[in-house]
Amino acid sequence: MKLSTQTASTRGGRETISRPPTGATLSGRRRQDLIAGYGLSLPAVLILFVFSLGPALAAFYLSLFSWTLLNHMHYVGLSNFAGLLHYSVFWIAVRNSTVFALVVVPIQTAVALALAVLLNQNLPARGFFRLAFYFPSISSSAVITLIFMWMFNQLGLFNSFLNWLGLPGPDWLGSPHFALPTIMIMNIWTTAGSLMIIFLAGLQGIPVSMMEAAACDGATGWKTFRHVTLPLLRTTTFFIVVMGIIGTLQMFDQSFIISGGSGGPLHSTTTVVLLIYNFIFAYGNVGYGAAATVLWFLFILGATLAANKWLGQPVEY
Amino acid sequence: MVGSRRGWSYRLSRGIFLLILSLGAVVMLIPFAWTLSTALKPLSLSLVFPPVWWPHPFVWKNFVAVFRRVPLAHWFINSAIVAGAVTLGNLVLDALAGYALARIDFKGRTWLYVGTLAMMMVPFQSVMLPVYLLLRQLGLLNTYWGMILPTLVSSMGIFLMRQAFLNLPQELDDAAIIDGCGRLRMFFQISLPQVTPTLLTLALLTFVGAWNNFLLPLLVANQPHLWTLQLGIVEFQSQYATDWPLLMAASFLITLPVAVLFLVFQRWFVRGIVMTGIK
Repeated sequence: MKLSTQTASTRGGRETISRPPTGATLSGRRRQDLIAGYGLSLPAVLILFVFSLGPALAAFYLSLFSWTLLNHMHYVGLSNFAGLLHYSVFWIAVRNSTVFALVVVPIQTAVALALAVLLNQNLPARGFFRLAFYFPSISSSAVITLIFMWMFNQLGLFNSFLNWLGLPGPDWLGSPHFALPTIMIMNIWTTAGSLMIIFLAGLQGIPVSMMEAAACDGATGWKTFRHVTLPLLRTTTFFIVVMGIIGTLQMFDQSFIISGGSGGPLHSTTTVVLLIYNFIFAYGNVGYGAAATVLWFLFILGATLAANKWLGQPVEY
Repeated sequence: MVGSRRGWSYRLSRGIFLLILSLGAVVMLIPFAWTLSTALKPLSLSLVFPPVWWPHPFVWKNFVAVFRRVPLAHWFINSAIVAGAVTLGNLVLDALAGYALARIDFKGRTWLYVGTLAMMMVPFQSVMLPVYLLLRQLGLLNTYWGMILPTLVSSMGIFLMRQAFLNLPQELDDAAIIDGCGRLRMFFQISLPQVTPTLLTLALLTFVGAWNNFLLPLLVANQPHLWTLQLGIVEFQSQYATDWPLLMAASFLITLPVAVLFLVFQRWFVRGIVMTGIK
C-alpha cells in the first residue's frame, strides 16, 4: 500500500475523514476494502447462513414432502399441514408450550424485577446476593433437570418440606397434573437470576435526578416504583419479555430429560419442539416435523411482534 | 437524602428487604447444597425419608467411584474438545466479521449486517430438524465436527464484537493506513488488543454455552464414545436411575469447571449478560 491510499479511509460508523478523492487511488482503496470486507466477514456469515438461514428455508421446502428418511421423498403439497392440524398430539403440544410460556414469562419477569429493585437499595452483601441469584444460570439444563428430578422425587426433599408444613406431597414427575408445573418451577428458578441482572443494569441507567424529583414531589416507595421506575424500565422489560417468550416457547431439554424423551406422563410434558424431535427420531415423519417447524416458527414470530406492539415504544426521558 | 427517612420505618423496610433477599438466596442455593450432600452419602442413606442433610459417614470416594462406573473422564475430554473448538472458532470468526462490519466500508456491508442480525430470530431448537438433516447429508453425524460446526459462529457474537469495534477511535486506523499497514495487520496489532474485555466476555459466554449444550450432542452423537458430559450424564441417569449419590457426584464435577470460571470472571459474565441477555 502506498501513502496515497489514505484517501477513502474506513468509516467506523462514526465520522468520515473527507479528503479530496484522487481518481485511481480511490478506486484502489475501495477495491482493497471490498476484498478485505468480504474476506473477513464471509467465513463467519457463510457458516451462520448455512446453519440458520439455510435450515429455516429448508423447513418450508421439506414441509411439502412426505419422507421417512429411508424412502424417496415425494411431493404432497400442503397435506402435511392439514394432517398436522388434525393430529391431536400436536394441539396438546401447542397447548403445553403456550401454557408454559404464559405462566413462566410473567412470573420470572416479576420475580426478577422484584429482586432487582430490592438489590438496588443500598443493602449490605449485594455481591453475595448477586452471586447466589445468578449461580443457577450458569449450570446446564441437564444437571439442573437431574437435580430437580431428585428433589421432586415422590420421596424427595421437596415433599419432605411440604410434609413438614403439613401438606401432602404429590408425585410431581409421575402425575400428568404436576410434571409440567415442576418444569415451570425449575425454569423460573433457573432464569430469574440472570434476568435480575439485566433489570439491575436497567435500574442503574435511570438518572438519579428522576428519583430525586419524584422524592421532592412527595412520591414514596410504591408510588415512585409504579409511576417512575416501571415506565422508565419499559425498554428493559420489553427485552426480557421477548427473550422470555422465545426461550420458553423453545423449551426442549427439560421435557426430554424428565420424560426420557417420551413427553409423558400422558403427553403432559410434550412441547412442540419435543414433538418435532420425535417426528424425526421416533415416528420417522420428516414432513410433519418440517410442517410443525414452519408453523411454530411463524407462531413465535407473531408472539414476538405482539410483544413489540404492546411494549416496544421507546422510552422518553 | 432526607433526614426523616433514617427513622425506624426506614430501618424496618431495610430489614424486610434483607430478609426477602436472604430467603431468595437460600432458595437458589438449596438445590446445590442438596446435590453436594447427596453426593457425599452412602446409597442407603440417600434413600431414607424424611431425608437427612448431614452425610454419615462422609463417602468421599463417591467422587472416585463415579469415574469407574461411567467413562466420565472420556466425556470430560469430549466436552473440552467441543467447547474449546467452539470457543476458539467464535473468537476468531465473530471478531473478524465484527471488525469488517464495523470498520471497513464496503458495498453490501449493511445487507450482511442486517442478515446477520436477522439470524438471531432463528434459535437452534426451532431449526433442529433441518440442521439434523443437513449434518446427515454432510456426513457429520457421529463426528466432533458435527457438534462443533453448527455453533462455530453466533450472530450474537458478531453483534457483540461489532459494537466493541465501533467504539474504537478512528485516528489509529487512519494513521495505520497512512503508514501502509495492511488490513489483517491492522486488525491484529491495532484493533484487537483494544477489545480484549469484549473478547473475554465472548469467550466465557461461548464456552459456558457449548459446555452446557445438550441438544446438539443429542442430535449428533449416537455412539457412546462421542458423548459429552451433558449427554453422558442424562444417559447415566436413565441407566442407573437409583444411584443418586453417584449421579449427584457427577453433576457436581460437571458443573465445577464452569462454576470456577464464573467465580473468577464474575464481572465479565455480568457484563455479557447485560449486553446480550444470553444466559
